[in-house]
Amino acid sequence: MRQEILSIEDAKRKIIDGRKLLLAGDEDALRQLPKGDWIAGTIPYFISHERGGLVSRDLIFATDVTDIVTGMVIAQYDQNSLARVYAEGPKHGFSFIVIPATSQTHLSFALNGPNYKSFGVRPLVGWIAGVHLDDLGKRTPKVFNGITGDVVEDGALVLQAELSPKKLAEIGIINLFEQGDGDILTFSEDGFSAKYVMVNGEKTEFAPYLKKKKLDTKLPLVADYYGVMVNISFQGVDEADGTVKFYAPVFSGIRYKHAKPVADYVKSFGECLGKECGADTDQVVFSCNCILNYLYSELENKKTEPFVGPVTFGEIAYQLLNQTLVYLEVKDL
Amino acid sequence: MDVPSKTHKGWQDVVTGNKAFQLKFLAAKILLGRLTRAVKDNPSPDNIKTSIDQLYNIFAQNAHIPSVQDDLKTIFG
Repeated sequence: MRQEILSIEDAKRKIIDGRKLLLAGDEDALRQLPKGDWIAGTIPYFISHERGGLVSRDLIFATDVTDIVTGMVIAQYDQNSLARVYAEGPKHGFSFIVIPATSQTHLSFALNGPNYKSFGVRPLVGWIAGVHLDDLGKRTPKVFNGITGDVVEDGALVLQAELSPKKLAEIGIINLFEQGDGDILTFSEDGFSAKYVMVNGEKTEFAPYLKKKKLDTKLPLVADYYGVMVNISFQGVDEADGTVKFYAPVFSGIRYKHAKPVADYVKSFGECLGKECGADTDQVVFSCNCILNYLYSELENKKTEPFVGPVTFGEIAYQLLNQTLVYLEVKDL
Repeated sequence: MDVPSKTHKGWQDVVTGNKAFQLKFLAAKILLGRLTRAVKDNPSPDNIKTSIDQLYNIFAQNAHIPSVQDDLKTIFG
């Protein structure tokens, strides 16, 4: 099995055996692991094959890529050098990235990633590390370089994986949200917050607009990127200054609409898999889903087969996404 | 199929939004979501050229991928 939940002892054993691993777990669990060929981010929430959604500080989610990759290097970037992440990706392979949530590198990648040199020329997939929700404000998300033992609070770790010439990597997403039938919303500048929004072209205070329209902020704003639905999730409204905050930046020039409700995530997920979401599940190497989907759709103890993985504070499929399942397939060429 | 040269009119049709296509390759779609909007806001020759360069680059460097080949056929026939 490529993706599985492990005890700390089993994870140690795999590392000592020389397996190449993408790991996720609580900080205290990850700190117990020996050096080896692994990269990790902090998060104690997972979707597993056996138990569905679960939270555990003592388990580690492991994706074993040993039999898939022919070589790997772990590179560390800061918010400035990360601009090279696409250009420096392996010519034949993929880059797997983990960034701590709310770090300067996270914010910079979210805002500037789409404008980095050679955006999208090589596959970039990954996730934003987080913490147990009880630890918000008490502990910081971190990423771990298993080779060096470095623990990073602000920076990005990227596992650059080479594939055999007979293999190729492709990234896919499953987003159950679609644009609703409401107003067209645009913003005058890029950012993680907005006091004003253009509603069908008319400048309007955003917070009062949300209240007046009774818009459910558990549902994201959705932009149509040439047929790909890209979400911007609401973080909250600062009542004091009327600013609306997001988990990913809105971009000027992009047209957003409030999402249609998804009544039953698990049911809709199953229906989606049966229709247009055409991943060949035997070829899925890695997948992750958003903590907001986990919380709002109450995924604890529920399965999203065949997709499992860490439950994240943001998903990366070339650029930062929200409330979206992201997956990586490795296929025969 | 080979990736057509940047001077092929098909590239301009895509980035200007003059023709819309149902594409498969995720990276190209995400990129086009931004490029088509940027070109619509600023349809200067320089902006169109820069956009074509970016789109061409993503196709040229991924031309071995079946979904990219499908997209090339969709755009260029």
